Amino acid sequence: MKKTAREMQKEQTKELLLKTAYEVFSKKGIMNTRVSDIAQAAGVSHGTIFVHFRSLEAMIEEVVALYGQKIAMRTHVLAQSSGSLSDLLRAHLGGIMEFEQFYTRLVIENRLLPPGARDSWISIQSAVSFHFSLVYEREFGHNDRSGIPLHMLFNMWMGLVHYYLQNGNLFAPEGNVIGRYQDILIDSYLKLLKGGRAEK
Amino acid sequence: MKLCIACGMPMTKPADYPLGDESKDYCIYCARPDGSMQSYPEKLEGTTDFLIRTQGLDRQAAHAAAIRTLAQLPAWQGIQKTMDTPSGN
Repeated sequence: MKKTAREMQKEQTKELLLKTAYEVFSKKGIMNTRVSDIAQAAGVSHGTIFVHFRSLEAMIEEVVALYGQKIAMRTHVLAQSSGSLSDLLRAHLGGIMEFEQFYTRLVIENRLLPPGARDSWISIQSAVSFHFSLVYEREFGHNDRSGIPLHMLFNMWMGLVHYYLQNGNLFAPEGNVIGRYQDILIDSYLKLLKGGRAEK
Repeated sequence: MKLCIACGMPMTKPADYPLGDESKDYCIYCARPDGSMQSYPEKLEGTTDFLIRTQGLDRQAAHAAAIRTLAQLPAWQGIQKTMDTPSGN
């Protein structure tokens, strides 16, 4: 069915609100943000927000779902051309880097977010763990001398990356934690994995 | 961009599809060896095991997360209507 001008306008406003909320969440934090902050930043009235979202919680869930999908998709696309584990780790960081501020908020606030948002978080990590497991099987499957289970290797990588993001103010006060540390994170993790040998 | 109706994975090349058949709406990871789509119980178990194997989740938490994730996907709409959907914490 063809959309009316009114329906298209409504969609455009909603898109603007989602994008604005994303930007405000990235700067202020998610649970710290009030509806009025988003309304002000978007240049709309408080009431306009509630035309499009039944609650702030619902808005948070929708923003996290939308941008969670973008992050997962970006990682998936970059991972498609990944051969080695090194490539895959770089693809993972590449997927996050574009959305670093927002992703960092998810890392810090995940347990506080509404249920739908926490499910989006699981989906983001699953997109990564899926590719991680494929590449790992391919590269180390029959040669795994570490004796460390796949999920533990994955969680070690996630823990490392998230630690740097959570403490970004200490590691990269200017911002752009991943841009600054991606090489040493990947290199160090792989060296540890391969038992201190130089990367091939 | 075509997304698998059973798991949401983007499908961009023949290798993503069961038996390389790009006319299908579901991906190779949601297909049985004969190319047909897995049933809900099969997919639920597969997703739960995937979460445990690749991320080390607790079995109960993985099962609950799998139910909630699958409920969002076109292939499994309405399947939970007669069952309780467990909430996360």
